[in-house]
Amino acid sequence: MKNSRRLLFRILTVLVLLVIAAAMYVIGRGHTLYFDNTSMDYNGQTVEAPYRIDVYVDGERVAKLKEDERGTCTNIGQKFSMDLEITKEKDDEPVTEHISLKLPFNVDNIVVNLPALLQGLDEDAYYSVFVPLVQEPADEEPQVDEFGIEINADENTAG
Amino acid sequence: MTLGAMAGEIGLIFVSDWQIWGIPGMILAMIISIPISVALGVLCGKILNQAKGREMVTSYIMSYFINGIYQLVVLYLMGSVIPIIHSSIKLPRGYGIRNTVSLLQMRQKLDELLAVNVKGVRIPVATLIVIALMCLLIVWFRRTKLGQDMRAVGQDMQVAEDAGINVERTRIISIVISTVLAGFGMIIYLQNMGNLSTYSSHSQIGMFCIAALLVGGASVDHASIGNVFLGVILFHTMFIVAPKAGAVITGDSMIGEYFRVFVSYAVITIALVMYETKKRKKKSQAAEQLQADQQAAGADGKGA
Repeated sequence: MKNSRRLLFRILTVLVLLVIAAAMYVIGRGHTLYFDNTSMDYNGQTVEAPYRIDVYVDGERVAKLKEDERGTCTNIGQKFSMDLEITKEKDDEPVTEHISLKLPFNVDNIVVNLPALLQGLDEDAYYSVFVPLVQEPADEEPQVDEFGIEINADENTAG
Repeated sequence: MTLGAMAGEIGLIFVSDWQIWGIPGMILAMIISIPISVALGVLCGKILNQAKGREMVTSYIMSYFINGIYQLVVLYLMGSVIPIIHSSIKLPRGYGIRNTVSLLQMRQKLDELLAVNVKGVRIPVATLIVIALMCLLIVWFRRTKLGQDMRAVGQDMQVAEDAGINVERTRIISIVISTVLAGFGMIIYLQNMGNLSTYSSHSQIGMFCIAALLVGGASVDHASIGNVFLGVILFHTMFIVAPKAGAVITGDSMIGEYFRVFVSYAVITIALVMYETKKRKKKSQAAEQLQADQQAAGADGKGA
C-alpha cells in the first residue's frame, strides 16, 4: 500500500514537471521581429511607405523608422501587440494605431512589412521569414575568461 | 556541486537552442537539469558509498571523470547525434557547442522581476525571495525525519547504522538533493551573468562556492546558512576590493586579482589542513585515552 502510494506520488510529480515544462516551452518561445517601412507591390497593388513610423511595445519605443528603414525588437510568446505612430507626410500629425499579431511558433526571425500590414493586406504580403544571407567564416573560437569575456579583446581592438 | 552545475548548463544549452527566453526559459532549463542531476547524483552517491572515508579525493577525481563525459557530449554529440538547430551556439564545423553561449534573452530576468529601485540601487526582490525560500526549505528539511537521518549520518556513520538508519541510501539521497539544487543555483547564477562559458563555468563555480563557504567560517564537516551569507559577502567584497587595492598599492589591478585568486585557494588549503590536523588530533587523543584506560585497568587487575 505504502509502496504503491509512493509510486503514484512519483508518477504525479513527473507528470506535473512535464506539464510545467510543456507550458514553459510554449509560453517562453522567443521571436525576433524585424519591422520594415518599405514600399511594395502586391498583386498589382502598390503600397506606399509613410514618411515615418514609430513602433511602441509596452509603452517603450523600440523603433523609429523613416522610409526604407528597418527596426527590430524581441518578443516572448506567440502574442504580440504594438502601437504604431504613423506620420504620412513630413509635417503631418502622427496617427496612432494599435496592432496585434499572432506569431508562428516555429519561426525565430519574422519580418513584418508595416505599410502592407497597415493597408490590411493578406498575411503573405506583410509577413516573411528573415534569412541571414551572410555566412559565418569558419574561424577559430575566441579565448574567453571565466565571465565569457574575450581575453586580449582590448589588445586586439587597440592593435 | 560541479555535477549539478553541468546539468544546469546542459539545460541552458537546450533552452538557448530552442529559443525559450526569460523566466520560462530558466524554469524549463531547471526542469531539464533535474533528471540529469538525479542520474549524476545517484552515480556519485553509489561511487562514494564504495569509497567511505576517502570521499574528498574520490569526489574530486569524479568531477574530472564526469567533466570528460560532459565534454564528449557537448563537444562531439551535440549537433551530430543530439539535435542542435541554431548556428549561433554551434561550432562553425557543424557540431559541438561554442566556448560561449549567449544568454542575453535571459540575462538578469530573475533579478529584474519585482525589482525595486532604492536611491539608484536596484534591489532584486525576486532573487532575494528565492534565496529566502531556499533557506526556509533547508531549515524545514533539517527537522524532517530524512533531515535528522542526514545529520546523524554526517556525525557518525557507525552510530547511525546501529540506530537503524539506512546510511548508504541516506547518503545517496543527500547527494542527489545537493546535485539538483546545484543545478538550479548554476542556472540562477548564469542568468545573472548573461552568458555561459560552456567548458569552464562548472569547474569555476565549484571553486567559488567552496572558497566562499570556507571564507564565511564553514569547515569541511560543518556549514550553516550564516556561513553562506558571510562568505558570499566577503568573497564578493574581495572581487571588488582586490583589483582596486592592487591598482592603488602596485599600480596594476592584475596584482590584486592574483592576490584574490591566491587568497581563495589559500583559504581552501588552510581549511583542509586544519580539518586533517583536527581529525588526527582527535584520533591521537582517543588513542591516548584508550591507552590510559587500559593501563588503569591493568593496574586495577594487579592490585586485585
